[in-house]
Amino acid sequence: MAVTGAIEVVMPQMGVSVSEGTITKWLKQEGDQVEADEALLEISTDKVDTEVPSPASGVVSQILVQEGETVDVGTTLAVIGGEAGGPAAAPEPEAPEPATPEAVAEPSAVSSAEADVEAAPPPAAEPTPSDAQQDGKSFVSPVVARIAAEHGVNVSSVTGTGRGGRVTKKDILKFIESGPPAAPPAPPKEEAPAPAPAPAPAPVEAAPVEAPAAPAAPPPEPVPAMAGAGEILEPMTAMRRGIAEHMRRSLDTSAHVTTVFEVDMSKVVAIRNKLKPEYERSYGVNPTYLAFISRATIEAIKNWPWVNGEIRGEQIVRKQYVNLGIAVALEGGKGLIVPVIKNAEALNLLGLGRAIADVADRARNKKLTPDDVQGGSFTITNPGGWGAIIGTPIISQPQVAILDVEALVKRPVVVQDDRGSDVIAIRSMMNLCLSYDHRLVDGAYGAQFMKELRENLETWDEVSY
Amino acid sequence: MAIAREAEPVGSLREVREAGLDREDLLGIYRTLLITRGIEERGHILYKQGKIPGSFYTGRGNEAASVAVATAMGPDDVGTPLHRDMGVHVTRGVEPWRIFAQYMGRIDGPTRGRDGNVHMADAKLGLIAMVSHLPAMLPVAVGCALAFRIREEKRVAVAWYGEGASARGDCHEGMNFAGVRRLPVVFICDNNQWAYSTPTHLEYACETLADRAQAYGFEGVVVDGTDLLAVYRETKRAIEKAREGGGPTLIESLTLRMEGHAVHDDAFYVPKEMFEEWAKSDPLERFRTWLRENADLTDDEEEEIGAGVKKTLNDALVRAEESPLPEPESLTEGVFATPEDLDTPHHK
Amino acid sequence: MPERTYLQAISDGLRQEMRRDKRVFVIGEDVGVYGGAFKVTLGFQEEFGSWRVIDSPLSETAIIGSCTGAAIMGMRPVAEMQFADFISCAWDQLVTVAAKQRFRAGTPIPIVVRLPSGGGFSGGPFHSQNPESSFAHIPGLKVVCPATPEDAKGLLVSAIEDPNPVLYFEHKHLYRRIKAEVPDERYTIPFGKARVHREGEDVTVVTWGAMVYTADDAAKELEGDGISVEILDLRTIIPWDKQAVLESAQKTSKVLVLHEDTRTGGFGAEIAATIAEEAFEHLDAPIVRITAPDSPVPFSPQLEKAYIPQVEGVAAGLRELAEY
Repeated sequence: MAVTGAIEVVMPQMGVSVSEGTITKWLKQEGDQVEADEALLEISTDKVDTEVPSPASGVVSQILVQEGETVDVGTTLAVIGGEAGGPAAAPEPEAPEPATPEAVAEPSAVSSAEADVEAAPPPAAEPTPSDAQQDGKSFVSPVVARIAAEHGVNVSSVTGTGRGGRVTKKDILKFIESGPPAAPPAPPKEEAPAPAPAPAPAPVEAAPVEAPAAPAAPPPEPVPAMAGAGEILEPMTAMRRGIAEHMRRSLDTSAHVTTVFEVDMSKVVAIRNKLKPEYERSYGVNPTYLAFISRATIEAIKNWPWVNGEIRGEQIVRKQYVNLGIAVALEGGKGLIVPVIKNAEALNLLGLGRAIADVADRARNKKLTPDDVQGGSFTITNPGGWGAIIGTPIISQPQVAILDVEALVKRPVVVQDDRGSDVIAIRSMMNLCLSYDHRLVDGAYGAQFMKELRENLETWDEVSY
Repeated sequence: MAIAREAEPVGSLREVREAGLDREDLLGIYRTLLITRGIEERGHILYKQGKIPGSFYTGRGNEAASVAVATAMGPDDVGTPLHRDMGVHVTRGVEPWRIFAQYMGRIDGPTRGRDGNVHMADAKLGLIAMVSHLPAMLPVAVGCALAFRIREEKRVAVAWYGEGASARGDCHEGMNFAGVRRLPVVFICDNNQWAYSTPTHLEYACETLADRAQAYGFEGVVVDGTDLLAVYRETKRAIEKAREGGGPTLIESLTLRMEGHAVHDDAFYVPKEMFEEWAKSDPLERFRTWLRENADLTDDEEEEIGAGVKKTLNDALVRAEESPLPEPESLTEGVFATPEDLDTPHHK
Repeated sequence: MPERTYLQAISDGLRQEMRRDKRVFVIGEDVGVYGGAFKVTLGFQEEFGSWRVIDSPLSETAIIGSCTGAAIMGMRPVAEMQFADFISCAWDQLVTVAAKQRFRAGTPIPIVVRLPSGGGFSGGPFHSQNPESSFAHIPGLKVVCPATPEDAKGLLVSAIEDPNPVLYFEHKHLYRRIKAEVPDERYTIPFGKARVHREGEDVTVVTWGAMVYTADDAAKELEGDGISVEILDLRTIIPWDKQAVLESAQKTSKVLVLHEDTRTGGFGAEIAATIAEEAFEHLDAPIVRITAPDSPVPFSPQLEKAYIPQVEGVAAGLRELAEY
């Protein structure tokens, strides 16, 4: 088949991974006649050396790549036929695709594939952002919602540049960076009847009571803080976060009930006054009231073990030991730590006094080991030192009771004299408050435990304690 | 007419001595046979008691063949035994209590509860754990032989498969490659005549499976799988030939699967007469009789061996039941190997 | 550093390992005398002999099965599938035997299977596939898909070192087209560590293999429009660098996952799902996937071009996301 139009000879693809080839020899020169399928040139590629047969019959009108040159697969090497000497630049637009292997191979070469922009429709995988959204403004993306919540920004006050005016992440970040636009979002002070439910941190009690149920519900999540006028923000310490979490969880776990007993500590006071010089001199230990109360508590637990127990799953755990937690406040309200005196049931008054002093000291000097604060079975807290007279302590989980030791105060109380007549006397009185978990400890049980504890204190047995 | 050679039965003690076994060895083999059958009989009971989950397979009828092949293997040889080859594990030294533990999914089973029943092997004893896709282990055994050949070690791999598995492509690819490269591998075809319910004439059309060996360029032998000593002699010969560079051999060991495919299968499709006929050549009974007639096995010896086996199995069961079940938290441990896993003699 | 093609880098890495470790051997169809269909092992047999560069019969099952056996015996086999497509013939050996052996029997199977993969050359349905996602679904297998010559070498060395079965997908499109500097000395590249191919602010592309370059061309196109594209090259998809993907997702809040494998159940779906699960509150647009459609790879160039994600399609997808 002789051709009238120009036919291009291209560098063939000799294997799927071959991207280029080198012309080793032209077997025909410009002006030579060549027949279709007749060897026209020799090439060398990474994989094979071969002859290239002519794609058509005609005169070799132009050789574009010389021997020794290396070109990409698909590059035009020569032109056959056409106007003699005519450049190959403009093959007739509607020229039917020559059905030769070389030509078929061409589109798969990278360079041409990418140049051929309009040819292929974009692949089936279209991105899906929804065109269904008529009003882009109404859709708040997850990240925008989160940033808005964190910074207390009302998304509707941000100008959106996304599709349909949607507020994008960039939009809201820019909005925050440029600072809040004057007053509106600042939390209104008490008297303002809150026109917009500001997402800023309101003190817990502030608004709700008098605010006439605002139609728009305030954002449900506690909003991370922005300091208002006259307020200072400080980060929570890990200990504070731990306490916060634990206290809340305890209230969510146990059915707290608090019962208060009044104890006449006169006998304990007398004994302590007697022992103190001796203990301090001989052992360097101060027999504190806390030590007395601890000792008496442990004694009472023997008869009322559930107070020292635990609910574990569906089981009640009764412990044959008392691991006594002693709540120790750190200075300056920095927190609270509860070191545990392991096997406190084995200690006498002196031992307890020593142990309490030791853990309290180590707690304040940050010398406690992780083991020192674990495994408690019953806790005593002692705000009485500051004059408190009544309290409703929160149980330290997974324990079921906590004893609150209140201030020792002298009070006039009605007692019976030797002859059985009621008289008013001055006695050293103390309130002991027990919070217990009603899931395990019933009121009668708790009260009987307290009654025994009171008796242990009021009738202190110097010999056995 | 069959192409493969048919092996002669083994006659006298002298002949056995020539094949490398003395009287002590023979008594040891007898003991191993009893343990092999005993493990599977107890397993069968445990399964029916609900102590073994999943399915339960036995190799009843194949005990002698499996013990014989393992006995013929050298200490450094390796193999890929299958679910009818309990005797291989016992002969190579897997302790019975670990097999019971494996059955019950305990952590002391060779697969630590990750796999069940006879899907196990102790790599330290030169065995590789089978998979259910038979005969997928056949190319693996060929690969072991390839490693020996590359390193020019005088070791041999033994690859088991069944007449059912002979129909699958892995079998062809493995044997062809082994033949082409004359690799040191011995193929043992446990032909127990039933692949689940499918009889031999629906699995292959040649006269014997050993005939195929010639097509792969190596020797094929058919041997009576209930004749322990004949299986031993033929395997020993094949292994030593492979060790010396003589290439593979295919040994077809003919038996009857004396139970169903698994405990849940009553094998109703196997003609009763077939069971009756093969019951006459029970491999244990056959070996015991041979020992009495040719090796002067005494009543006392028999009793002593029997009592010892019984005690071993009783103790094994107790110990296996003490082995804990694996912790659920450990489930995904060991999906991937760590570099420490390569710290084995093989990988030095 | 010398400039090497992707193919030379693979070849160099393999040769170096074979020189330093006698346990490493190569097995496959036509890998010896012929040097492999793509000439990766050209000259190897002359150097290492016919028992370390083994011309196997046409038996993918025997190749992978024997690699498993040899690995258990302490060797470090490197198998070549002539084309990744043929791995289907050895599925059982990989998935049933090799992948589960460590879990079941405690036996590590340190084998590497080299898989020339990918299309773009009218290879048709059986010489063009990217089956990496199928294997990513199999616990116990690792899947490696290098994009650069440097990675190709370092990841191959890591693959040989790894105590597990590793599928090493080498993209045919990159073999001779991609050249870059590659260190001469031996080095490894850890699995599960993505490479930031290009840093950007507005949209993230998560991809691997040849698509890294498609994404890069698309990113360059968008540069002029002021859209800044970050390209993460995962390098290995099992294990995959979840951390890097989540971090980039958090940074740009817009993610496009791009792969040459088909769409449904492709690994891109895993990535998209993970981002949705773990970075939901950082998203500013739906996660977009651009993949091959759910069809076999077609032969005709015109069809194949429609099949494999192209630069213009990726650019369009990125632009849509940026404007969302």
